[in-house]
Amino acid sequence: MNKLLIAIIAGAGFATAGDAVAADAAAGKEKSQLCAACHGPDGNSPMMPEYPKLAGQPADYLEKALRDYKKGARKNPMMMPTAQGLSKQDIKDLAAYYASLKGDLKVKY
Amino acid sequence: MKFRSLAIAGLFAVSASVAVPLLAEGDPAAGKNKTAMCAGCHGIPGFRTAYPEIYQVPKLGGQNPGYIVAALKAYKTGARNHATMKAIASSLTEQDMADLAAYYADASK
Repeated sequence: MNKLLIAIIAGAGFATAGDAVAADAAAGKEKSQLCAACHGPDGNSPMMPEYPKLAGQPADYLEKALRDYKKGARKNPMMMPTAQGLSKQDIKDLAAYYASLKGDLKVKY
Repeated sequence: MKFRSLAIAGLFAVSASVAVPLLAEGDPAAGKNKTAMCAGCHGIPGFRTAYPEIYQVPKLGGQNPGYIVAALKAYKTGARNHATMKAIASSLTEQDMADLAAYYADASK
């Protein structure tokens, strides 16, 4: 009985910790076709002057940007509907993928 | 007939002025002298914002200049929601934005 209780509590704890989803850059690559159409296949060659390069941008910044587009805190006619279709896991994966790419971006003083 | 060609010419003039908005030409040397408010966060590798959420600030070096201008304008209008960036962007003229964009876009230095 005690063992069962411990197992249940441990299971609940694991599920809570699992709520903070782990990022998977390889899965992000699989999900990036739609992004590549505008930001470039390498995330470093945007199709329009006003589109950003993504390659090498910090993952937590990219996540924040996608979350803001999704909830409407950042308004953009292209990105708001695009982000609507992304789950928490998708956002983590895509951010990890683009953060892992090497492009032109760097910290400039 | 004459009126018709005049009307067509008028339509062309309107569509041309819509398609080519007046963009300020950016001067990277002038931009370098306007980075005082940017460098304290964006010039430090790994710098994190503390408010309203904690995440790394985006890299600006090498970014698409048209995107930098678009982002600053979005902060200024409130389309993009960030208290510090709204205050800073609101203090910038279109020429300041273009100059800063031209300065940061060059990733070679």
